Amino acid sequence: MEPTQVYSVSDFQAVLNQIMETAFSGVVVEGEVSSFKINQGKFVFFDLKDDQASVGCFMMKFALRFPLEDGMKVRVRAIPKLTNWGKFSLTVQAVVPVGEGSLKKSFELLKKKLTAEGLFAPEKKRPLPENIVKIGVISSTQAAGYADFCKILNERWGGLELQVAHCQVQGMVAADQIMKALSYFNERSEVQAIAILRGGGSADDLAVFNDEALVRAVAASKIPVITGIGHEIDESLCDLAADVVASTPSNAAQMLSRDRKEIVVAIRSDINRINNLLNAKIDELIVDTRDVLRVGRDIVVKITTIESEIAAQKHVLAQLNPDNVLERGYALIRGEAKVGNVVEITTYKQDIKAKVTEAKERK
Amino acid sequence: MTTKKKNVSEKIAELKAGTDWFYSDDFVLDEASQKYRDLMNLAKEIERDLVEMKNEIKIIDEDFSK
Repeated sequence: MEPTQVYSVSDFQAVLNQIMETAFSGVVVEGEVSSFKINQGKFVFFDLKDDQASVGCFMMKFALRFPLEDGMKVRVRAIPKLTNWGKFSLTVQAVVPVGEGSLKKSFELLKKKLTAEGLFAPEKKRPLPENIVKIGVISSTQAAGYADFCKILNERWGGLELQVAHCQVQGMVAADQIMKALSYFNERSEVQAIAILRGGGSADDLAVFNDEALVRAVAASKIPVITGIGHEIDESLCDLAADVVASTPSNAAQMLSRDRKEIVVAIRSDINRINNLLNAKIDELIVDTRDVLRVGRDIVVKITTIESEIAAQKHVLAQLNPDNVLERGYALIRGEAKVGNVVEITTYKQDIKAKVTEAKERK
Repeated sequence: MTTKKKNVSEKIAELKAGTDWFYSDDFVLDEASQKYRDLMNLAKEIERDLVEMKNEIKIIDEDFSK
């Protein structure tokens, strides 16, 4: 049989790699990690295996966004490759832990590492600005969590501008998309807060929010970030890195907005309080006026009493006036009543001088 | 001179300042009646604004999957 084409070894390897890359570009393979190692601080090697087979994997350390250990179950997105030495391997583009045990292990390892770096330090947290008008939203516009967020926000408040970055919020490509959206908002600096939203899901669904690069991007955001991811019980590393954590997308909407109904109640209450205050002030004034009138009346009574007392005193004084006594026919005699002396006699009508001709003691 | 139309947050702040006046040392009964009427009108305006205002949602054109 005549061969249709003869390849050199390297050409054959190159063609094979091209075919595999075309046929399995971004193939996703799931298995257990074994023989995990990092060479020279930048080249990552491990085997991916199941009960019956094993395949070698290679990746660059910068692409490793979840801590790995032997025994962890992971999912890798990779390009199959035949090396120059004829060894088949997967060149891994992305790897994520799968299954509750692996996710939990990876979560704890990364949490410990980033906590030690101070990425989650409370003093780094910024409050959401007051009176927010522009909000950047990162979510899938098809997600129920996003719909809940918009519904609650529209019910509570208006006049807001939402700039929505539509992204996948689960799966192996989600972290990169969310990071791009974060960069988009930070580069433009138009919004006052960024909300990262995703409704509830399984631990695998929410694993993207424990991606190291994404967690670092959240912590580094210039614009305050609020997360509303999963349900109340879910906690992600993005939550720990965010400035403000809402328990759900709906809760995020509550934290980002005021409630117009509450404001109406508060306004009415304020107006009522002012009304009551005014009435109280007017009542106070009436009481004050009455007090003034009562004091006035008391003063009049006192003046009248004093006037009466003065009149009585005047009457007594009038009784004691010598003129009044003289008027009744008495006379006032000055000088010594001695025979031969001249005495002065004052009557009501006259002043008289008289010589004493006789003076004797009365019996 | 141009007069900028106040948004609802500014109106709420104005209402609060007006309310505070009634509890301050500046309170004068002679002025209170007119100020109270002004605040009543402002409160009605705010309630109307709160009912009418809507949020604007813009989906960004950028494709973040690329």
